[in-house]
Amino acid sequence: MKKSLSKAIVLLLALTMVMSLTACGNKADKDTSTSNAGGKTEETSSEPVEISYATFMVGAHTSAAAEAEVISAFNKKYEGKYKVVVEELPSDNAFVDKMKVLASSKTLPDVLIGKNGIRELAIDNGQAVNIKPFLDEDAEWMKFVGEDAMNYNMEEDGSVYSVSNQRQNIGYFYNKEMFEKAGVTPAKTWDEFMSNNAKLKKAGFTPLALMTGENAWTTNLWLAAMIGTDGAEGNAFMNTSYPTNYSNSSVIKALEMIQTCLKEYTTPDAVGALYANAANNFEQGNVAMIANGPWMCPDFTDETKSIPGFGDKVGVALYPEDGLVSQFEVGYILCTNGKSKEEQKGALEFLKFKTGEYAQSVFLEKAGVLPLTDNVKLSDEYKAANPILTDLINLSGSAKYTFQNIDNTAFTAIVDETAVRYPELAYDEITPKEFADKLTKVAEQSKK
Amino acid sequence: MTKNKKWIILFLLPGILLFSFVFLGPIAVLFGTSVTDWSIGKDISFVGLKNFTYLFTEDKTFMDGLKNTIVWIFLQATFHVLIGTTVAIVLAKKKWYSSAIRTIYFIPNVISSAALGMLFLCVMNPQYGLVNSLITKITGEGFIQNWFMDPKSAFFAVTMTWLPYAGLVTVLVMAEMSSVSEDVYEAAKIDGASSFQTDIYVILPLMKNIIGTSVVLASTSMLQKLDIIMMTTNGGPGSRTMNMPMYLYKTVFTSNDYGLANAQGVLLVILGMIVLKSIRKMFNMDAKE
Repeated sequence: MKKSLSKAIVLLLALTMVMSLTACGNKADKDTSTSNAGGKTEETSSEPVEISYATFMVGAHTSAAAEAEVISAFNKKYEGKYKVVVEELPSDNAFVDKMKVLASSKTLPDVLIGKNGIRELAIDNGQAVNIKPFLDEDAEWMKFVGEDAMNYNMEEDGSVYSVSNQRQNIGYFYNKEMFEKAGVTPAKTWDEFMSNNAKLKKAGFTPLALMTGENAWTTNLWLAAMIGTDGAEGNAFMNTSYPTNYSNSSVIKALEMIQTCLKEYTTPDAVGALYANAANNFEQGNVAMIANGPWMCPDFTDETKSIPGFGDKVGVALYPEDGLVSQFEVGYILCTNGKSKEEQKGALEFLKFKTGEYAQSVFLEKAGVLPLTDNVKLSDEYKAANPILTDLINLSGSAKYTFQNIDNTAFTAIVDETAVRYPELAYDEITPKEFADKLTKVAEQSKK
Repeated sequence: MTKNKKWIILFLLPGILLFSFVFLGPIAVLFGTSVTDWSIGKDISFVGLKNFTYLFTEDKTFMDGLKNTIVWIFLQATFHVLIGTTVAIVLAKKKWYSSAIRTIYFIPNVISSAALGMLFLCVMNPQYGLVNSLITKITGEGFIQNWFMDPKSAFFAVTMTWLPYAGLVTVLVMAEMSSVSEDVYEAAKIDGASSFQTDIYVILPLMKNIIGTSVVLASTSMLQKLDIIMMTTNGGPGSRTMNMPMYLYKTVFTSNDYGLANAQGVLLVILGMIVLKSIRKMFNMDAKE
């Protein structure tokens, strides 16, 4: 009696487990395959096609509002036909790491930004679609993408695997009030730049908002500017994709200046700091300069981020020697190889929408992101309301040296290496020459 | 007996199957691919022991990671367990504060490592961190130390984010102590042993097994430590706070080199087995009761 009771209980438990697992498995199938309305079963064709999309432009990200508006506009325009299902990642790093995991299992979302090597992984794993034929057949879309942006992302064989989402003109912002009090103006040469730093420090101000954590963004912008304005050789280096030899005089000279800046002219928390720390230091009026792009402009008048009236105190300048980071972003990739025709069509439609006129206008208005071509016009009202951005656009015409930033030209491992080596440089544990040699070694290893 | 065997097999089967799919399969793949050149989009090719040779002869970062991992395992196995056991012995006296202290001391074990990492970033921030502010207050002089990024203090600072917080060891040892019969304490008292002598010469030897278990848990936790390092130093400055899991992670996500990463995985598994075997031997844990 006792034994049969035990058997019955075991069987019952096993049955319950199997049924619950089966039910779990079936639920998802049912949800996607059929819907039951009023006792009548309908096929999925009546459901909108879902387009998976991953983004890091969420939360406190400067482009979060613009991103949300564009996605919402797409879903509204294609209501009942297509629906964008968004996966939100809390930071650039979290996004890149997650997408690299998904790339390894060939499960990247339909549309996503292909930065930091994600595009290359998507090409390698066979998920990425060559977008060139679609650009060629849609003149209206092409008008707003532009030849320059397309060529920027063109492979040697003529295929294009990503569509840029923005043109980047990056100089640096400075606190006019601090400059005035220290008796300096934006430097024309790097010697003058270092002398300005000394004068600012003497006047009681911290000259630079640097950070070496994450991707060492603000520090690497200065580094890129120092290299990119060092004559024809340095400029050529900063316009070379995936260089393998960092042990050259331009890089070493630039690292010497960065070492001085890290030791003498930045905040005590700069070594190891995150982007947010550097931005906060500048926006709270603690630091005189920060290298960053125009997407930062809306923050200057946002009193939740900057001190009241800060927008009026900010000026924008080219780097010494009239240098400017000028480039296109890698942009969006389409990973629908092997998907159904409907999904491919929907994802392409979303990609067009995301990189088209409307999205570029929204990102310009709400996030200070520069459009890809002049076909997206800046209205006079917009120019009047955004003087810093307008100044930058005007200045960009007088740049003598244009170059890319390190994030765009270097292997991902190089960016990571700069972040872990800067502390050693700042604390004299490594010389600029040794730093450059280590970058060379990592680049050679990455090339393999 | 035969019927019992049937039931044993029936109950073990789901676990064994799950273990095989979730662990044994991937471990076999790990060992198999560690001798290959493998990255996304490229065909896998057999390279023999090249990955291992490279790690030991050319890759300084890996060697630093290996060295740091071993040092951290040693520190966890000794100081961490010692701290946890000492706290357990003190709290076992059942004073009025014991329960509160035990709960508070366990807090770092229930907070997620990511949150803990952020917490320590703030506490040790060179500009406004609690540690520097306290030192400034005590010494009366402005004190600025970038704990996580100064090459001289980085290893110490990272170690301090986990070494002293031995809540789990304390709870385990206290649980074992509660099972010691009151007769043992009384016998020691009758023999004239002081409270301290009772703890050291009577209770502690009785705790041998649980201390051995704690050493295993504390040591092997160092073979998985990744999140706090990632949040605080990312393995830097240079490779001063690099450990094996962190470097494995970087080899996959920044270098896209799965073959080399899996070779590191194999070494991590081997190191884990050596650590486990050594501790079990040291505490005579394999001996039959």
